Amino acid sequence: LSTVKTPLEPADDAGTTSVQLALNWYPDAQHGGFFAADELGIYAKRNLRVKILPGQPAVPVLQNVAMKRVEFGVANADQVLMARAQGMPVVAVFAAMQTSPRCIMVHRESGISSLRDLKDITLSLGAGKGFATFLEKGGYLSRVKVVPYTGSVAPFMVDKSFAQQAYVFSEPLVVRNEGADPVTLLVSELGFDPYTSCLITHEDTIRTRPELVRAMVQATQVGWTTYFKDAAKTHERILRENKQMDLASLNFGQEALRTLCLPPDTPHDTIGRMDATRWETLAKQLVELGLIDDASAWQSAFDLRFLAVDPQP
Amino acid sequence: VAKWQGRCAKQRRIEANHAVKRNSTDKPTQNGFTSSTALRWILHRAVPPLIAAALFVGGWSAAVQFWQIPSYLVPSPSAVGERLIADRQLLITAWWLTGQAALSGLCMSLLMGTVVAVAFSQSAWLRYALYPYAIFLQTVPIVAIAPLLVMWLGYGRQGVIAVAFVLSVFPMIANVTAGMLAVPEPLRELFMLYGATRWQYLTKLQFPTAVPYLVTGLKTSSGLSVIGAIVGEFFVGYGDTGYGLGYLIRNAADSYQTANLFAAVVLSTLLGIAVFACISLLSEWAMRRFGG
Repeated sequence: LSTVKTPLEPADDAGTTSVQLALNWYPDAQHGGFFAADELGIYAKRNLRVKILPGQPAVPVLQNVAMKRVEFGVANADQVLMARAQGMPVVAVFAAMQTSPRCIMVHRESGISSLRDLKDITLSLGAGKGFATFLEKGGYLSRVKVVPYTGSVAPFMVDKSFAQQAYVFSEPLVVRNEGADPVTLLVSELGFDPYTSCLITHEDTIRTRPELVRAMVQATQVGWTTYFKDAAKTHERILRENKQMDLASLNFGQEALRTLCLPPDTPHDTIGRMDATRWETLAKQLVELGLIDDASAWQSAFDLRFLAVDPQP
Repeated sequence: VAKWQGRCAKQRRIEANHAVKRNSTDKPTQNGFTSSTALRWILHRAVPPLIAAALFVGGWSAAVQFWQIPSYLVPSPSAVGERLIADRQLLITAWWLTGQAALSGLCMSLLMGTVVAVAFSQSAWLRYALYPYAIFLQTVPIVAIAPLLVMWLGYGRQGVIAVAFVLSVFPMIANVTAGMLAVPEPLRELFMLYGATRWQYLTKLQFPTAVPYLVTGLKTSSGLSVIGAIVGEFFVGYGDTGYGLGYLIRNAADSYQTANLFAAVVLSTLLGIAVFACISLLSEWAMRRFGG
């Protein structure tokens, strides 16, 4: 982090503002819109020079945004609420995925077809994550052996009675390519459905540089719309950034993300939009789960003012 | 020869005494333990660290207040204290689970380290062939192989113990091997002169010589076994039998609860100290029994 430049650097001579965007995972289809906005010059057109920092397991995105080491980050809605409960002044200004891609991936051979009949398996889950606590407190894990999640699908491949957390558009394809036959069980179907891959920033940035936030949010909106139209160049870019990734996975991811980002059963004129009642519901759920103490400040966790109804490139 | 023997035995006694003294600086020796020496010990040995601890906690608390350090970066000592009290049941259970795994790994290291060192000491060829690899294996990053160990051994306690073992076995091998080979030349010649058998040479000379080295190895390994158990728990955990300290550390980090993380780290440190203290007591006994 010592190489990170001074935060909130003012615009340089050419009127271009340099900002950093910290990803929450290795570059992947779930960041498609961000890479599209950068690769296709959509950020540049709004005088933004965005440096996209790849993530990895346990990368402290929210902390880095809270400490102003980076201007923007990618995180999920439940993490934003939990971080705010610990005093981090972070705010979500855009939500890429309307439906959470979070799922539990089991082998078809296990015979399990619903989260309600999880039993006799070893399940690897991220400790302390909202959805894991939701499953645990909901009693869905009473008949399984829970073990830590390490970010690798290798244990899944060697054991038919093994299950793990996953994003529907990512790990299932990886294990299918390796010869497994996975079944994915969406956690959102049980009612825990936080906005996923939100663009987050610092409260101070919103207050002192609202135009920067607006430019970033609206360019990101265009980036995502463009990503769903034509992902070829963006995927080339992601493949350059993440050598472990392959084109088939990205194409599969893009298709799966289309329904998660623009759900067919709702009017989807505005990509990235957020619904206040869903934030409220989520905050109350997190209180019930004991992950935050107080749900009353849920309104401060997100800001809808920067989203354009019909973003123009 | 008798003079040599006497001189060497004396030398060894001196070295051993030094080792005992070095290792027991925190405790009074048995002889001369009167009330005045007890009081002096408290004043000289117990009070300074307590003052240092009080200054440290006071400084920490003041720094958090003065610079308004947010709690997700550095929680105040009182916040950590609150977590220690509120979660004591969870923390003590985790402490015990992790401690068991660390001690199991350490015992395996002691056994394995001794067996390998005996083999190395009996055959120079074996030692030349394998010792470089023992050193080489020591440098393999544990976080890289821990997930592999889990895959090979399956999830559960055995995986945690395996990581603790892998991390703590190499100092044992290195130290005990060095000890077995550290027999003073005159004593070796004496044993040869009297036609000692290989078994006698091993049990009556090599092994006693190695005891101080073994003790040093154990002390190094005791800390490593605790670290190994915690790293193992990052990747393995115990499934349904409870949570270890490693799990609690990851859980706290993932939910941004830094005070909980500090509380788990405090317990981890106490575990390291407890294991070290056990080893120190044990080694004092061993030095008296075998090494003196």
